[in-house]
Amino acid sequence: MLAPAAVFFLLLYFAPIAFQLFQSLFSGANSDRFVGAENFIDAVTDPDVQAAFITTVLYAVGALVVGSVLGLVLAVVLNQALPGKAIFRAILLIPYLTSVAIIGLLWRNILDPYVGILNRILESVGLPTQSWLTTAPLAVIVGIAVWSSVGYTMVLFLAGMQGIPAEYYEAARIDGARPFRQFLSITLPLLAPTTLFVTVIGVINALQQFALPYIVTAGGPGNATTLYAYKIFNVAFSDSQFGYASALSFMLLIVILVLSLLQFRAARRWSS
Amino acid sequence: MSVMKRERLFPGDRVVAYVLLVLVSIVMVTPLLYMVSLALQSDREILSAVPVLWPTDPQWGNFVRLFQTAPFGLFFLNSMIMAGAITLSHLVFDPLIGYVFAKFEFPGKRIAFIALLSTLMVPFFVRMLPIYAMFGALGWLNTYQGLIVPFLMDAYGIFLLRQFIQPLPDELIEAGRIDGASELRIYFQIMLPQMKPALAVVALTSFVFQFNEFLWPLIATSTTEMRTMPIGLTLFNQEFFNQWNLTAAGALVLFVPTMILFFLTQRYLVRGIALTGLK
Repeated sequence: MLAPAAVFFLLLYFAPIAFQLFQSLFSGANSDRFVGAENFIDAVTDPDVQAAFITTVLYAVGALVVGSVLGLVLAVVLNQALPGKAIFRAILLIPYLTSVAIIGLLWRNILDPYVGILNRILESVGLPTQSWLTTAPLAVIVGIAVWSSVGYTMVLFLAGMQGIPAEYYEAARIDGARPFRQFLSITLPLLAPTTLFVTVIGVINALQQFALPYIVTAGGPGNATTLYAYKIFNVAFSDSQFGYASALSFMLLIVILVLSLLQFRAARRWSS
Repeated sequence: MSVMKRERLFPGDRVVAYVLLVLVSIVMVTPLLYMVSLALQSDREILSAVPVLWPTDPQWGNFVRLFQTAPFGLFFLNSMIMAGAITLSHLVFDPLIGYVFAKFEFPGKRIAFIALLSTLMVPFFVRMLPIYAMFGALGWLNTYQGLIVPFLMDAYGIFLLRQFIQPLPDELIEAGRIDGASELRIYFQIMLPQMKPALAVVALTSFVFQFNEFLWPLIATSTTEMRTMPIGLTLFNQEFFNQWNLTAAGALVLFVPTMILFFLTQRYLVRGIALTGLK
């Protein structure tokens, strides 16, 4: 029964990773010139890659901080007996299940300096218009990412909150702790594993964010929204440097593995 | 199940809660409603300097023009084939493998399970380049198998079903064995019907995420005939960049099927995210 699974995961997970490491040792248009570790040395010293990495960190921090705070607030609000809360929960999840192609194109239209509805409304009420995608491109990408994923973050926090025993709150109530105090001294500390999970998943997703810069800004203006994954895509498919792209991609895998293992170890310590 | 009653955060917090929820919901839904408006606007309205919140004369013909301007019927079919085949494969393999890990002992089980879980840490992005090179050598780019094969199984669904099956009582299986039922019969007639809620989550998420998948179809296809909806739509927009009404119409064609599925199964979905963290 497990044979098909073994074959599948071997051929489409483990073999590609090994192949990627192998490819990253080569250079040239056909990836046939052996260069050893040169691609990795280049990657670390390449100012374009460094810039993409810094942009990705800024994007990740922005999306995580805004997304987690909003997601947590929404989860607190929805973690009480509210009539109609299933409807709100569903509405908040809609953008998460919407194709990134739709999300990217729709927001690009809304924010378009000339035909976008946002500027046209601003203009019609006499407010100054903005060319959003040139003045604050990265912030716009962060905003769109938060818009599309905050419902998912909220569901994760909700699940974490439902795992907190009700007795803790009862004990706190008997001790006279006010609800906000209960949130600070029970909910928040006991949500630490969830918060860590949200953080790690958020960083991993940020490291792979490709479609939004591809669709909304084409990585620009300049390289203001060239995130790491978008950079890899361009190195592989625009510059045709497959070996170099493989090295960049392999480094991405290492970072993700380290983050995942840290998360996994912490989760085990918490659960024991 | 005990229903917990949470104390209010502060007096009147219900009003604040509803105000907040309504505000956030408006932010979530308005852009998508505007997409409907945009899809029905005339060519003049999409470029007018006056903001058009809703077209004066909804142009339903935009949907006809959409399919006349580019092969969206084909894009849609390709997406259905890709997402449908992958979903079917998940529905066949995920419960079976999940069941084996949940209820059977065999040598090497621990290692096999750890190996399986370790694939959760390997996002598609880092498999993409080598698989692209492999499939290029096989001549699988611009083919259906090329679109489908990288996603035939994934550890999320297997893990979800294992977590779901594990607490089911072993007596169900033993009773079947005492009655002389074959292992296959036990699986199909006793276990599989128990898994319906988890299977609904697997079906919904597999279908929706694959229907929406952007990265792989973008690089694995280069011919118009093999493009899927999200890619076809994005490239259409690049070519006809002033036809925002048609782009929005295409976006709706992509949006509606996934939303119908979502609202049919959303109760299960929330539980599924809670159980595994999904994506």
